[in-house]
Amino acid sequence: MESTSQPVIFTTQTSFPLPYQKFFIPTSWRRYHLSQLVNKALSLSKIVPFDFLVKGEILRTSLGEWCAEHGVGEEETLEIEYIESVLPPQKLSDFPHDDWVSSVSCQPDGYFVTGSYDGIVRMFNYSRTLITSSKLHNAPITSITTMDDASYTSNSAQLVATASHDLTALLTRFTQTSDDQEDQEDSNLSTTTTTTKATPLAALHLHTSPLTCITSNENSTHLLTASWDSLIGVWDTKVPGEHEIGDIRASAPGPSRKRRKVVEEEQDEQWAAEGAGVNGGPNRSTVTVVVETKNVKRKAPITVLKSHKSRVSCALFGSQFRGIEGRAYSCGFDSTVRVWDVETGLCEHTINASEKAFTSLALPSTNLAVATATDRSMTMYDLRIPTTAVPAAPESSYMHPSTPSCIALPSYSGPKAQSATSSVTSVNEVITGAYDGIVRMWDLRSTKSAVTSFDAFGNERDKDSKKVLAVDWNAEKGVVGIGGEGGFVVWSFKEDVVSSRS
Amino acid sequence: MALKRKKASQNESDDADELNAEIANLEMLTDEEEEEQDDSASFDDGQVDDFPEIVQSSDEDESESEDVEDEEDVDEHSSSENDSDTDDDSELHIFPKAKTVVSQITGQPKLVYPDIEPEYDSDSSTEDAPNRVGNIPMHWYDDLPHIGYDINGKKVLRPARGDELDKFLATVEDPSTWTSAFDKNTQTDKSLTAQELDIIRRLYENENPDAAYDPYEPMTEWFTGKGKEEIMPLSAAPEPKRRWVPSRWEKQKVMKIVRAIRQGRILPSKPKSTTKMEFYAIWSQPTAPVAPPPPAPKLNLPLHSESYNPPEEFLPTEEERKEWEEQDIEDREKDYLPNKYSSLRLVPAYDRFIKERFNRQLDLYLAPRVQRVKLNIDPNSLLPKLPSPNSLKPFPTYRSLRFVQSSGRVRCMSISPEGDWVVSGDENGIVILWEVNVGREVKRWKFSGKIGALDWCPRTDACYFVVTTEETIYFLIPPNLTATVFSLTHSLLAPTTLPPTTSSPVKWETASSGTWTLDKPILTVKLPPASGLPIQTTWHRRGDYLATVSNNGAQGGVWIHQITRRHSQAPFKKIKGVVQVVLFHPSKPHFFVATQQYVRLYNLAEQKLVKTFMPGIRWISSMDVHPSGDHLIVGGYDRKLCWFDLELSDKPFKVMRYHSRAIRSLHFHPTYPLFASSSDDGSIQIFHSRVYSDLMTDPLIVPLKILRGHQIREGLGVLQVRWCHSQPWLLSAGADGSVAVWCS
Repeated sequence: MESTSQPVIFTTQTSFPLPYQKFFIPTSWRRYHLSQLVNKALSLSKIVPFDFLVKGEILRTSLGEWCAEHGVGEEETLEIEYIESVLPPQKLSDFPHDDWVSSVSCQPDGYFVTGSYDGIVRMFNYSRTLITSSKLHNAPITSITTMDDASYTSNSAQLVATASHDLTALLTRFTQTSDDQEDQEDSNLSTTTTTTKATPLAALHLHTSPLTCITSNENSTHLLTASWDSLIGVWDTKVPGEHEIGDIRASAPGPSRKRRKVVEEEQDEQWAAEGAGVNGGPNRSTVTVVVETKNVKRKAPITVLKSHKSRVSCALFGSQFRGIEGRAYSCGFDSTVRVWDVETGLCEHTINASEKAFTSLALPSTNLAVATATDRSMTMYDLRIPTTAVPAAPESSYMHPSTPSCIALPSYSGPKAQSATSSVTSVNEVITGAYDGIVRMWDLRSTKSAVTSFDAFGNERDKDSKKVLAVDWNAEKGVVGIGGEGGFVVWSFKEDVVSSRS
Repeated sequence: MALKRKKASQNESDDADELNAEIANLEMLTDEEEEEQDDSASFDDGQVDDFPEIVQSSDEDESESEDVEDEEDVDEHSSSENDSDTDDDSELHIFPKAKTVVSQITGQPKLVYPDIEPEYDSDSSTEDAPNRVGNIPMHWYDDLPHIGYDINGKKVLRPARGDELDKFLATVEDPSTWTSAFDKNTQTDKSLTAQELDIIRRLYENENPDAAYDPYEPMTEWFTGKGKEEIMPLSAAPEPKRRWVPSRWEKQKVMKIVRAIRQGRILPSKPKSTTKMEFYAIWSQPTAPVAPPPPAPKLNLPLHSESYNPPEEFLPTEEERKEWEEQDIEDREKDYLPNKYSSLRLVPAYDRFIKERFNRQLDLYLAPRVQRVKLNIDPNSLLPKLPSPNSLKPFPTYRSLRFVQSSGRVRCMSISPEGDWVVSGDENGIVILWEVNVGREVKRWKFSGKIGALDWCPRTDACYFVVTTEETIYFLIPPNLTATVFSLTHSLLAPTTLPPTTSSPVKWETASSGTWTLDKPILTVKLPPASGLPIQTTWHRRGDYLATVSNNGAQGGVWIHQITRRHSQAPFKKIKGVVQVVLFHPSKPHFFVATQQYVRLYNLAEQKLVKTFMPGIRWISSMDVHPSGDHLIVGGYDRKLCWFDLELSDKPFKVMRYHSRAIRSLHFHPTYPLFASSSDDGSIQIFHSRVYSDLMTDPLIVPLKILRGHQIREGLGVLQVRWCHSQPWLLSAGADGSVAVWCS
């Protein structure tokens, strides 16, 4: 059959550029044919699958059907951008939790860290072994962040900052020691020769309402906390020698200090017992360690950022390529995205959206921000548009069928971070998790539908779907950690990672 | 003329004459005719002057008819004397005079009239055609030497005819050829006479065909001119008496009218009836509103199958015929069977004729006589013009979360003033504190018995909520408070120095500071025994007063508790009916009390009744007051929702019925112009309710969204709806044991 052809110009931002040339493509061709064409034209030794973006939309049909749908004539030259296609993600492993996982981190080399609603921070290594389980808070943990411990010489140390409903954030150091004396009684732990010890360093006291978010900057020198009380705290990670503020609890009347402590300890023991009882799996038998928080130094913020009128749901530091260094970015339930100068503590820029209670924020490039909101949308804003009273028009909007709760960008950590990020100045892939238990990967150029989506926890049909509350994407290893109502699961986004790890 | 006259005279004189004699006379008369004609013409000329004689006789009155008779008699006598005289007279008279002849048969005198003269314009049969064979094809005589017979039966011989050459020569030589035509009857050429040609020419020139007619002949002066005037009356008779005597008949007629007027049968001052026809433009007036009578229903046109000789395909088969015959008459699709006849001659009499006529008459009889005018109203135009819901965003549109509490019914639920926390209580006695945005349970309390109501204290500096169970009210403090808020709350509910106890049946008990934990209520208020379950609690906006309504007990079960004074009082000594809902006015010291059918507004400061509202609902289930304090909505178990403007009237401004089951709960949004209603049909309806400060403008109520998602258990649907304070989010507690968060 003699089919008509369409003039096409290919562009790309990948490392496989084609010469600038006009191609005449039969209109019956689909993604597969185009991908083969690019592979043949470049004579690649190893076949790289590509996806094709036509006018900001991923080509899912044949070229002719697309043209008919969008009313593009045969004479018009189409500009098609191709990207390396994402392989269907695969579930790698499952880490059941007793309680909802509110925050996950895949950034430390070789570990997954999760924070849960039962106030416990858990660390898993890549062989799915629970390394440590430390009860840092009596209230639910809402957010965690992991940092390289610069002050500690041993590379096996990890700083974890946790934000909780108990109005404080805690800075904890996890150290691994090759000491197996403490685990003598645990006979099941055959392979473990190292123990991880959690040492709370400092408690961050500022907020008067539960905290929503804690993030660190690139160099792990500063922290940002966001809370329901519309404040954002800026902290450094130095551990003070003395308490910077007095004990607030001492002034509280009612039950005596002593009595309260006794009660708390009782509760803690009870919770610990529950945890031990349920964690009956062979590789998750580490007893939850109730961390003594008595000697933790109380710490005061460097600066407090005040402008939000309602709950602040997310606060981020700008880094080298994500936003501007020295700036902080935040979003809140007052439908604003704000840019702060951290040094002066002033709000530099405000983007007013109309009636969007933002739940999460990410910075895909220097001047762009994507934020999820409770109106089931993820919207992208150009941060350069001037501050006006009228609601700002979003650059583009990505609709979800359910409330999106979290965003993750591909992040690179460790020594390879410099080389990896230097080649890419902006990212187009974003992963969002939603309350319907579906994790979606979006290409920011394609607004119509997600590139790929998968059911994170394998929901059953009849029951309510398990909510996804946190995603973290380690692009270097090609893994995505997903936390939520169904515990913690790890999905792979790159095939080679699976092979290298297994 | 003369011929006829002669003939007539012949007939008179000799009726029984032979036919031959007549013929002989006819032949004889040909010459005389001309002479006599000439005579008569000359005679006529001489008689012209005698014309007035006729006039005189014609002008005579009827009274003088006797004279005529006399004259006739005279004529009868004289007629016998001279034939020629009568002839002359007959010329002058329009109608010929009759002659009196003594009949030869009877011997009596009889009147004999002369024959009518057939003249030029009389019928053509009098023209003498020599050939009397009539209008027959003349070729019958082609082979014969004659062409017919004359009136006497003698052969009329064929005239000699020239051959074609003669004809041609005749056309060339004879100038009269073109005015002649072949006469079939006589087999000769007949040429038109000069007279006939003249007539043709005159007709052709639109002239009078009569050549003798002179249109310009001089007028004959009879009465004008010298010496011809009539100066004397024509008659010398005296004036009759009737000319100068008043008419008796007229008098009778007038007296009849006078009598009628006197008796009042005729009204003399009656306005003149406008019998005078007036001209008007018939099309300028609009047509009558009455529609013309509907035309009679038309008969159906006959089908092919009804033909006497239908095509073969219309003919029924044997089975079809049998089936048709077996069917009832009512069931038959058509009331005849197609039949085929080879010719119209063979078609039998129409057996269904009477039946068909009857049906037709029935149709005409039952046909509608009056055309019903359809009411052409666009149903959309009856709907009020409402703004589009899209322009009234934000409002909740989808279910963001579903918090499954228990298997029992979640009767009550309350949101913290900041809109962050929710407490929900079910019928199993479990109260759960959870986060609005994530839907994660943070803490739970267990009580014995059903939870009747829950309400969060509206104070922002203190943080606690009340839970009611059977005859008891508990005060609970949520966890994770800041030290300042906690201390204030604690000192408020468990002060170190208790105020003096008042004599009241209500007991206030504070938990001992040593044993109290967050799991236990810090303050317990025990209502008098047998007062039942407090089904509703409501806070005053300052957070110091708490009103509870129990479903049992004296004084309508209404108690108002003051937290700072630790004192409870029953505001009503006696109340008519069972109290359903109570509410504090948001700005004034007023108190709404809804009984089963009425809503009463009391002024608490002055201790008196301000107003009674009559919503017309059989059983009020819920009530809420607008944050501005000027408007009230009341919902009932009979599905009605009434909107009251408190300033306007004690009757509802608007009554709406849109739920298919009983309304369970109503709530106004504290900041957004929204309200929600929930019902036992499992749905929640969201309304836009904009209230204007301008008193003249009516509130704008626009239905926005129906939210469905709760299941109906045992006939109960959504039991309570509450708005999130700072966001356009709605929470709903259902009988299916779940609480849903609806986001915009």
